[in-house]
Amino acid sequence: MNPLSLVPIPDMIQAPAWVFLGLDILLFAFHILLINVALGSMLLIVFSRGRRREEPSENPVRALAASKIPTFFALGINFGVAPLLFLQVIYGHLFYSSSILMAVYWILIIPFLILAYYGAYLHAGKFGSQSFLGKAALWMAAVILLCIGFVFVNNMTLMLQPEKWVAYFENPRGTILNLSEPTLVPRYLHFVTASVAVGGLFMAFLWKRKMKINLMEAEEKGNPGLKIFGFATAVQILIGLWFLMAIPRDFLLEFLGGDVFSTIVFLVGFAGAIGAVAAAFANRLGATGVMFGLTIGAMVITRHNLRAMYLKETFNLNNLQISPQYGIMALFFVVLIIGAVSVWYMIRLSRSTENGRTS
Amino acid sequence: MNYPVWEVFSLGGGTLIAGISVLHAFIAHLAVGGGLFIWLTDRKGFRENNPLVHEYVRRHTWFFLLLTMVFGGVSGVGIWFIIGLVNPAGTSVLIHYFVFAWAIEWVFFLGEIVALLVYHYKFTVLRRKERLTLAFLYFLFAWLSLVTVNGILAFMLTPGKWLKTHAFWDGFLNATFLPSMFFRTCMAFMIAGLFGYLTTVFLKDSAFRTSMMRYCTKWLLYPLPGLILSAVWYYYETPFPARRTAFAVNPETAFFSELFVALTVGLFVFSLLMALRLNAGFQRVLSLVLVVAGLCWFGGFEYCREIARKPFVINGFMYSNMVKKSAIEKLDREGFLKHARWAATREMTAKNTLIAGRELFVLQCLSCHTVGGVHNDVVPLVRNYTALGVRSLLNGQGKVQTYMPPFAGTEAETKALAAYITKSFSRAHTAGPTRRNDVQPGKQVIPPFNRGEDEYVLLAWNDLGMHCVSDSDSWFVILPPGNTLEAVLIRRGETPELVMEGVEISYDVEEGYGNPAAHVDFWKYAASNFGRKIKENTGLQGNGLSGKFQFNTEHASFLAEGIPVVPYKDDGSYNPYPLFTVEAKDAKTGNVLAGTKVVAPVSTEMGCRNCHGGGWRVNHLTGIAAGTSTNILQVHDHLEGTNLLEQARKGNPKLCQSCHADAALGVQGTAGLLNFSAAMHGWHANYVPYDDVRACILCHPANRKGNTKCARGFHKSVEMTCVNCHGTMQEHALALLKAEKGKRGSSRLMAHLKAVHVDAVKEINPRLPWVQEPDCLTCHKDFGKPPRHGNGFNTWNGNFSGLYRMRTDNAGVRCQACHGATHALYPARNPYGKNRDNIQPIQYAGIPYPIGSNLTCAVCHVVKMDGAVHHENMEHVFRNAESVR
Repeated sequence: MNPLSLVPIPDMIQAPAWVFLGLDILLFAFHILLINVALGSMLLIVFSRGRRREEPSENPVRALAASKIPTFFALGINFGVAPLLFLQVIYGHLFYSSSILMAVYWILIIPFLILAYYGAYLHAGKFGSQSFLGKAALWMAAVILLCIGFVFVNNMTLMLQPEKWVAYFENPRGTILNLSEPTLVPRYLHFVTASVAVGGLFMAFLWKRKMKINLMEAEEKGNPGLKIFGFATAVQILIGLWFLMAIPRDFLLEFLGGDVFSTIVFLVGFAGAIGAVAAAFANRLGATGVMFGLTIGAMVITRHNLRAMYLKETFNLNNLQISPQYGIMALFFVVLIIGAVSVWYMIRLSRSTENGRTS
Repeated sequence: MNYPVWEVFSLGGGTLIAGISVLHAFIAHLAVGGGLFIWLTDRKGFRENNPLVHEYVRRHTWFFLLLTMVFGGVSGVGIWFIIGLVNPAGTSVLIHYFVFAWAIEWVFFLGEIVALLVYHYKFTVLRRKERLTLAFLYFLFAWLSLVTVNGILAFMLTPGKWLKTHAFWDGFLNATFLPSMFFRTCMAFMIAGLFGYLTTVFLKDSAFRTSMMRYCTKWLLYPLPGLILSAVWYYYETPFPARRTAFAVNPETAFFSELFVALTVGLFVFSLLMALRLNAGFQRVLSLVLVVAGLCWFGGFEYCREIARKPFVINGFMYSNMVKKSAIEKLDREGFLKHARWAATREMTAKNTLIAGRELFVLQCLSCHTVGGVHNDVVPLVRNYTALGVRSLLNGQGKVQTYMPPFAGTEAETKALAAYITKSFSRAHTAGPTRRNDVQPGKQVIPPFNRGEDEYVLLAWNDLGMHCVSDSDSWFVILPPGNTLEAVLIRRGETPELVMEGVEISYDVEEGYGNPAAHVDFWKYAASNFGRKIKENTGLQGNGLSGKFQFNTEHASFLAEGIPVVPYKDDGSYNPYPLFTVEAKDAKTGNVLAGTKVVAPVSTEMGCRNCHGGGWRVNHLTGIAAGTSTNILQVHDHLEGTNLLEQARKGNPKLCQSCHADAALGVQGTAGLLNFSAAMHGWHANYVPYDDVRACILCHPANRKGNTKCARGFHKSVEMTCVNCHGTMQEHALALLKAEKGKRGSSRLMAHLKAVHVDAVKEINPRLPWVQEPDCLTCHKDFGKPPRHGNGFNTWNGNFSGLYRMRTDNAGVRCQACHGATHALYPARNPYGKNRDNIQPIQYAGIPYPIGSNLTCAVCHVVKMDGAVHHENMEHVFRNAESVR
């Protein structure tokens, strides 16, 4: 059976594909950052308890992080909805197919995510009270997020490989995973390690705020969060190399000069990562943040470039037919701006109350 | 077909969508109404300068956040997940055509979250104006989010102009957008009040608690008028076909719509209870009950809304099984599997029929049905049908029961799916074998007639040449035992005379048929079916198996009505053509003037079991079995909301015509319902997958493989079938339905029927059953030779006396007296004895042709006659002697 015969016919899109692609990549970057913060914070708190170095409640940074995890859940889920929407616009025909092949795992994400989310609130509420329930809730939430991440990686890889979809004819019950895929483990570990790194970076920012000291002084005192970020990012680079080795050789060559744009973006990301490690170990929070931002931006685009390579024989975004809806698109951008202004206003309100005003 | 199908046979994708969606939408409406609740309650606290209210709002907000942001938010994503899994094609349409609306909704969702988080976390430190602004912003974003989603949901039911233009605003600003928006807004406020109870009921200060509970009660009551008005508006903006399908046709809707109405009243009443100062413990329990009731109330509404749209996921555009309406014609022509990307079977062969059938089932049925599952289980719906029955269900799918989509595929694919369904889900109650009746007819004994000496000619006939009895009396009755014999006595002479008085004509059934009560349960259940007890072995008009004729002026004949003969002989054999001896005696002297024999055709070979399963009741030969009867009643109960099966099981079966009028039984039925013939033919014509004579012989006892073969008259010998006179089954049904215009179901049953012998359905002339029939003279113009391929469809006699079987010739002799009964016209060929139906022509004229044929006028006239007095074109030799040899 020709695997391409299984690929469904996509519907028409309402604006050029690059509009949706751009929104998808940008909002995905926000989403993954927020989830990395949530998961990373959870993992770091769990590790710190495990190592019995100090009780997390004694560490004001971890306490602050614990209280913020539910908020990052909320925002992370919200910023997951938008890329999910735009992904369905341009890649829906592939995404639905692979989702259906693993339907049982896919739909189980929802109840487990709810559990993890409530677990985060329970943990935040019980933090500092030495409650077993609170600690167990955090463990549960962390494990669940790790599992959800694994299912996502399976789906995102399977959707790019229609040649594997014939497995459906042996198993139509929705329990197919992409375990035979050589990039599955490095890609998954890349995500987990990123969470640890970003968790560390987040804690680094909190440390700076909580300690109420300026950047210069922080550089002298040694930010523990930065150390975590540094180590994790170093490991991340190694995992990234593993990932690179695991992709098909043709694609590797594209990243090493074959395709100019892919190569440049990849190298920027690679260099950014090294720069971030260096800045982190040099205890320079600001520089680390900038390097990290560069890395994340480049890596999210690289992720798409790799996706396009996998889909080269299957599907080209430019082949999607356009039935323009520019009027409503313009309305969306207007609403987006109004929404952004509203959000900025509300956050400003929130910030302005930090100096202990009462109602 | 574009996508793979997640095979969850027992759980059902539709059930999952329903479960996740109802829970999410209930909480999401709380998020909207609750937003206004928080804002106004916080404002109330400031206005009253009441710190208790503020503290209440703070705690309520925490509960509200945990419920709406966590469960509400993630379950919303859950809907995206599940609809993408169960109906990706429909989801793709919604995503693509409304992407920017969804994107806008996402911005509102973001605004909502940020507003609520800031409001909650900074509650104690925000100033009044800031806090109220935040609360209002939360509500505004939540409500705008509702408006956006509502537009797209409403589009699914009423796409309107979008079907032609595919333009965004045509789809979004659709007919039910506004009424649904008002309706949902009112619901949102009421739900806020319900959840308000949950938090106020735990307040410690009892006076404050009561005042807050009264406050929550206002939230339930004030929106109620708006809810009712917008509900009415919503109902009438829903297009008529959707309303009819949902509320009149679909048997499932009633429960949910009644639930919704009952709970609206219930919530209203109980909310008043919550406003009273009652025991706190009791009110806590009641508040939980009310929330659950609210969920059921909300679910009832959402369920009705979803049902109204069936069989479509996008009304008028795409069916719930993801087949596009515009593609049906092509798929029927070219094949479904050929065009399904995720089907392994590309070519259907004899070997892969069941595999192909399974794939068709998965791709077209699993989207709505489960197999042995919690909801919409397909097994009980098909369990008792044969493969032909299932094929018929597929053929008629969506035509009458408009909440189903049509089956998309070729005839071979229909058969494959029927084979798979029957093999997998149907019990062993198949059609069952039909034995060949091994009755040996023997030589036909013809009564004597002395052409030279006998003074009288006695002619007798059964008023209908084809007559059935339904021997399913303990379940239902369609036709009771009751043959009507007619006779005329002619005094022979150059000018013969019809004798109308001074004679006594009697009838007597042949031996072995005298005790029909031993073979059928008609008398046992007569009181239930006919409303009165009837003496055993006596018919509805009081006649027994032997008795006397009474002269009837209207008929111009002697009549013996309702003779309750059945085709079951006492020795256990079956013969649907029992013979009656008819004798005419002088009333004064008692001398026998003439005698003859006549067949009273009576068959119990009603072929319901061909589709409804159950086998034959009697000896694998004939009769409606219990399994067949229960399936028929079960289906009728399911589709029409009757409880005939239960009543029959309790010993109270009903005559079908007690509701459906029937001129044959002289019964009026229930006003507004289709007459029996229109209902039966109208209904089944939509389902039976044949449009030639095979459709007729599925039910009527003329099946070539059966044991009655009652279409035995001369027309059969020249290879005519039912269709030549009555039209196809669909045309037959159309003519009957046209006469029943305005009655319930008539237009729905007609909608998909097609005419073949006329150019358009509107040219079909309406006819009343039993009263208006096709007529001989349509083809036999001036009683002459008919055209080679004549068709009698669409020309009916005017009234009862104009029927062939009621008419007389120019001399006042009944047509049937000389030509034989309908469907047994001389020369007939009886399967139980070649000349069993031709006794009188052979007795009197020595030839089996119509009496007087081949110039045998002497039968009555004693001498040869000149001139076509009885009717034109009668003076010739029987044209088709070759056909009957």
